[in-house]
Amino acid sequence: MPDGPAPVLQPVLDVRGLKTVFKTRSGEVHAVNDVSFDVRPGELLGVVGESGSGKSVTMMSLIGLLPSPPADIRGGEVLFEGNDLLTTDAETLRKVRGGRIGFIFQDPMTSLNPVFNVGFQIMEPLRRHMGLSKADARIRAAELLELVGIPDAQRRLKDYPHQFSGGMRQRVMIAIALACDPKVLIADEPTTALDVTIQAQILELVKDLREKLGMAIIWITHDLGVIAGIADRVMVMYGGQVVEQAPTRELFGNPQHPYTRALLETIPTVRGARPDKLNVIDGQPPILGAAPTACPFRDRCQYRFARCDAENPSRTPAGPGHDAACFYDFTAGGPRVA
Amino acid sequence: MLDTPKEPLVRVSNLKMHFPIYGGLLRRRTGEVKAVDGISFDIFEGETLGLVGESGCGKSTVGRSVLRLYEVTGGSVTIDGRDIAHAAPEELRKMRTQMQMIFQDPQASLNPRMKVSEIIGEPLREHHAGSAAERRERVLELMDQVGLNRDFANRYPHEFSGGQRQRIGIARALALNPKFIVCDEPIAALDVSIQAQVVNLLEELQERLGLTYLFISHDLSMVRHIADRVAVMYLGRIAELAPRDDIYAEPLHPYTKALLSAVPEPDPSVEEKVERIILAGDVPSPSNPPKGCNFCTRCPSVMDICKRDEPEFREVQPGRFVACHLFNQTT
Ligand SMILES: Nc1ncnc2c1ncn2[C@@H]1O[C@H](COP(=O)(O)OP(=O)(O)O)[C@@H](O)[C@H]1O
Ligand SMILES: Nc1ncnc2c1ncn2[C@@H]1O[C@H](COP(=O)(O)OP(=O)(O)O)[C@@H](O)[C@H]1O
Ligand code: SF4
Ligand SMILES: [Mg+2]
Ligand SMILES: [Mg+2]
Repeated sequence: MPDGPAPVLQPVLDVRGLKTVFKTRSGEVHAVNDVSFDVRPGELLGVVGESGSGKSVTMMSLIGLLPSPPADIRGGEVLFEGNDLLTTDAETLRKVRGGRIGFIFQDPMTSLNPVFNVGFQIMEPLRRHMGLSKADARIRAAELLELVGIPDAQRRLKDYPHQFSGGMRQRVMIAIALACDPKVLIADEPTTALDVTIQAQILELVKDLREKLGMAIIWITHDLGVIAGIADRVMVMYGGQVVEQAPTRELFGNPQHPYTRALLETIPTVRGARPDKLNVIDGQPPILGAAPTACPFRDRCQYRFARCDAENPSRTPAGPGHDAACFYDFTAGGPRVA
Repeated sequence: MLDTPKEPLVRVSNLKMHFPIYGGLLRRRTGEVKAVDGISFDIFEGETLGLVGESGCGKSTVGRSVLRLYEVTGGSVTIDGRDIAHAAPEELRKMRTQMQMIFQDPQASLNPRMKVSEIIGEPLREHHAGSAAERRERVLELMDQVGLNRDFANRYPHEFSGGQRQRIGIARALALNPKFIVCDEPIAALDVSIQAQVVNLLEELQERLGLTYLFISHDLSMVRHIADRVAVMYLGRIAELAPRDDIYAEPLHPYTKALLSAVPEPDPSVEEKVERIILAGDVPSPSNPPKGCNFCTRCPSVMDICKRDEPEFREVQPGRFVACHLFNQTT
């Protein structure tokens, strides 16, 4: 449930100072700038941000999924089960990826292989990572399909991805990600391509699975509504940086970064009062051509002052478990002291 | 705005658009996709009618049929009193200036090899509107209207962001002073912070130019913002049509109820209390829709009659139309 008392457990995954740069023909793209976060067992961390804010590149960097070149990981540590995934050997990384850390991506059609049946694709990681026999893997695969709510699971193992609807394919992806009993599940916009009634089915499933399985989940989305319903804690990204982080209720009730505040005022809802005019955030997201030397939000910020152009604000505590990267202090109603 | 009885600018009645399916060695016609299967609605002058529903329910087909980008299977469409579904080619050409379309993907709908000024001016050239100098002036005026910098007239679409490309699409749609614009998911490809910019622009233009919109979207919260009335489609038919505030405050059709309840709320304290109706299963195929009510395979309130008879789309309260047997019985 969102906002229980924060569990005082050690993080299962601890990311510190991650920096990822792409080298392209038209110059560098500083996609991820000094990103730090952690997740604890059983916790659901929501990651929000508009497209291009660095959500996917952050997650792909930490499990070594980005080809280099063009990607260049310039710094950071990714601590998982006693290893730094950025420096560990290829063999360890391969075992972690798709095993101890599971993934679900936005579009199941591009991540499922169209030429293999679904049973094969669930059994494959079970045999590779867990060393199960073919017969045992088949039994486990059927259990997994049943777990994610696919009717007639045993029989459907023989079906190919195109024989499933969009929502059912996403359930298959979840089954594959859960196959090896991961400690951390990273879900990158897993419901963005789905219709809203199908999204509701998947969100119910995830809430249910969390209670049953107790793993840590990192859930990436651009939809603050989805975050409000499932996350314990939220991290907001903008221009390749973490600009705010807080327990869910605190973030929605007491946002401390101008971007988060503006975003919450911009989104229309289907319930409650209907404002006559939509608030807008003028301008465009920044171009990430160089390492930032100023606040990435300054061009669109209504609180901007001289310091914002001269320095990039670092994350500063704003309450228990809450921090924001901004020079403006909303409590004091003026520039931050120090 | 509702007290003066206005004339419908657009009248759609019993519109059908079935696409043939060909199969077998001889590519014989083996069936049809009933993309739009008998729908009726009016759009009043200066109004925005929101058309919502999940992907594949037929929204785009409605938009395209209304502008006669398809030869429809049945029914009629009149715009400003003229029957567009049966207009002769020459008349249709004249009527085309009155109605325009804005598309979802500004990237795909703009020719990458044309300059912005050429893209916006294209409809003017095609319809021989004014001299070259007059057309050039009109293009700059349109760029001002949609908030594009005149200095960028000679740039190419890829040099613009998604939101700005959508402004280019809007400027082109406005070139010939249309009365009616079909907006087909115009903000779906844009980020939240940019969506509001485009929606506000569409609203300003409507007010300034007296435009009438059919606003197609799967985003129920944006439609609540922009539409005066809302039609909810399911599997080729309209399940419910009502004034915006009524439908969001008290949806009548079981599908509308489920659809609205499924929308996540960006406020944890409200979200926690939302009573969600989770529909089982998936939408059936439009090539083989269920007998009776097309929602009967997923409806939480399904009755025997629903699997047998098609419910009539009727006015159950002033201005509120529903196609559901629950309402046929009680009134
Ligand atoms: N292969 C690549 N080459 C160059 N730039 C890239 C590449 N992949 C991503 N980027 C850039 O990195 C930034 C962050 O992208 P991404 O993490 O995908 O954003 P998000 O997932 O938040 O939408 C964007 O500016 C994007 O254009
Ligand atoms: N040109 C076409 N030929 C055949 N089938 C089509 C065509 N256009 C749309 N369809 C089908 O008609 C149905 C409705 O499609 P569409 O109007 O695009 O739905 P929406 O815009 O609501 O997502 C879908 O099943 C779609 O596959
Ligand atoms: S007619 Fe019956 S099946 Fe159809 S929506 Fe109404 S109650 Fe449900
Ligand atoms: Mg992404
Ligand atoms: Mg469409």
